[in-house]
Amino acid sequence: MKRSRKGANGRAAAAKMRSYGLPLPGMKEDESLGGTLIVLEGTDGSGRSTQISLLTEWLESEGFAVETMGLRRSGLVARDIDALLAENTITRMTLTLMYATDFFDQLEHRILPALRSDFVVLADRYFYTLIARAAARGIQRDYLLGLYEMALRPDLTFWLNVGPQAAFEREFKKSHTISYWESGRDMSLSNDLFQSFIKYQAKMKKEFELLADRHNFVAIDGEASVSSVNRELRRRIAALLGIQRTQYKPSAALASLWR
Amino acid sequence: MLCGISRETAPADMASSDSIPVPVESEAPTDATRAVVLPLEPVRDYPGALVVVEGIDGSGKSTQLYLLKRWLEIGGYRLHFTEWNSSPLVKSATRRGKQRRLLTPTTFSLLHAADFADRCERQILPLLHGGYLVLADRYIYTAFARDVARGCSPRWLRNLYRFAPVPDITFYFRAPLDVAVNRILAGRPKLKYYEAGMDLNLSLDRAESFRLFQGRILANYDEMIESDNFVVMDGTLPVNKLQRQMREIAQTRVNLSRFAPKKAARMPR
Repeated sequence: MKRSRKGANGRAAAAKMRSYGLPLPGMKEDESLGGTLIVLEGTDGSGRSTQISLLTEWLESEGFAVETMGLRRSGLVARDIDALLAENTITRMTLTLMYATDFFDQLEHRILPALRSDFVVLADRYFYTLIARAAARGIQRDYLLGLYEMALRPDLTFWLNVGPQAAFEREFKKSHTISYWESGRDMSLSNDLFQSFIKYQAKMKKEFELLADRHNFVAIDGEASVSSVNRELRRRIAALLGIQRTQYKPSAALASLWR
Repeated sequence: MLCGISRETAPADMASSDSIPVPVESEAPTDATRAVVLPLEPVRDYPGALVVVEGIDGSGKSTQLYLLKRWLEIGGYRLHFTEWNSSPLVKSATRRGKQRRLLTPTTFSLLHAADFADRCERQILPLLHGGYLVLADRYIYTAFARDVARGCSPRWLRNLYRFAPVPDITFYFRAPLDVAVNRILAGRPKLKYYEAGMDLNLSLDRAESFRLFQGRILANYDEMIESDNFVVMDGTLPVNKLQRQMREIAQTRVNLSRFAPKKAARMPR
């Protein structure tokens, strides 16, 4: 079982380029990686983290080693970004480059080694979100694509698509408020928090549509139930990894997520 | 192999109306001499001017820029001095990365770019738009020379720093490798890990690693002389003689009277 999976992945990796044009320093352009990189994109409130928890459990029960990554989780600068976001002095280029540092630190120190060791990496957001945020703030798209030219190309990218209104309701239900950055308050779109949130999410959605086209996102209706979104994700991932049986019921620990 | 550092490799098509990184080409230059000396430069859309110094460690650039700054300061000129790698915003990250040796060529480069972006957006650009003379000790060419020596792609770097305003003058202080390296080694017995380029595994001996690393950087600087319009200064000349040259060139290439105090608009002596 394991052997056949490795073979399948090895072929898939060798068949295509892993970067967007430039290899990471120290990485050979044609290096084939045993692991699989799967990305979940979507706005706050689209259910990404819930799905990642469920997918991790499912994949581990199927015998796959799983590593996760996300934004602002690097050992190098995550804390610094937190501090920068808390004050209002940071400007858009600086923030863009700090997030890029955070992204590449995780990629080089955790993700690349994991992929070399045959892991399935589940990314809770990828550089696509970073491009969308920066582009929504007026930084040129081709500049941003150049910035992430050395990023690894995912094997599969899902876009959990949720409308601004639904995203607002879910966010509000979860934290009883709307964050400064998620509502794009730095962009002076509106003094009304709700209006600002809707306008910002609409801008983000436009950027995501451009990215979805360019990077072959698999769009999934994020407003559907957790279980049906999960079923669709499992179906696609099972096909990629050669998993025959896709039945899954969450354990007691995760049962509360299944609604 | 190193030819990729020159500015020709920067992506050519980057004009777009609603976004920042690239200087917009418009209007005729206000300073006729500038147009003659730098015909290929993009025109700057601000009243300020940017003068930068570059060169390897020990080339004498910081001393010379300090003397230029003092000359103008004493004359009451409107100026601002800025240094590479000095933004408080990313200082803690840089320190942590260096202490724990977490930095790869990519993250080393990105952190410095973030640092530069912070100074660029909050100091350099507003001051240029506000009509200041900005003097910079090291500029983006430091990143091009050093990060390429570490293995970063020249094309990636040129794109990364696209948002930087192009200097009015780039003084490149050039000293032979041995002269520069010996100046540093004589005064500073203990070289730091990244400073010596130990992450490149060139040599286990710090001084030797430093020498090899600086040699690579020097070669990368030399590659940019023509493509980036460097004004080459002979770093082996006596300090005061070199400073006289620097002042003459600064006056010729930038209309300094723009920055003079209002009442006495004349050249400093």
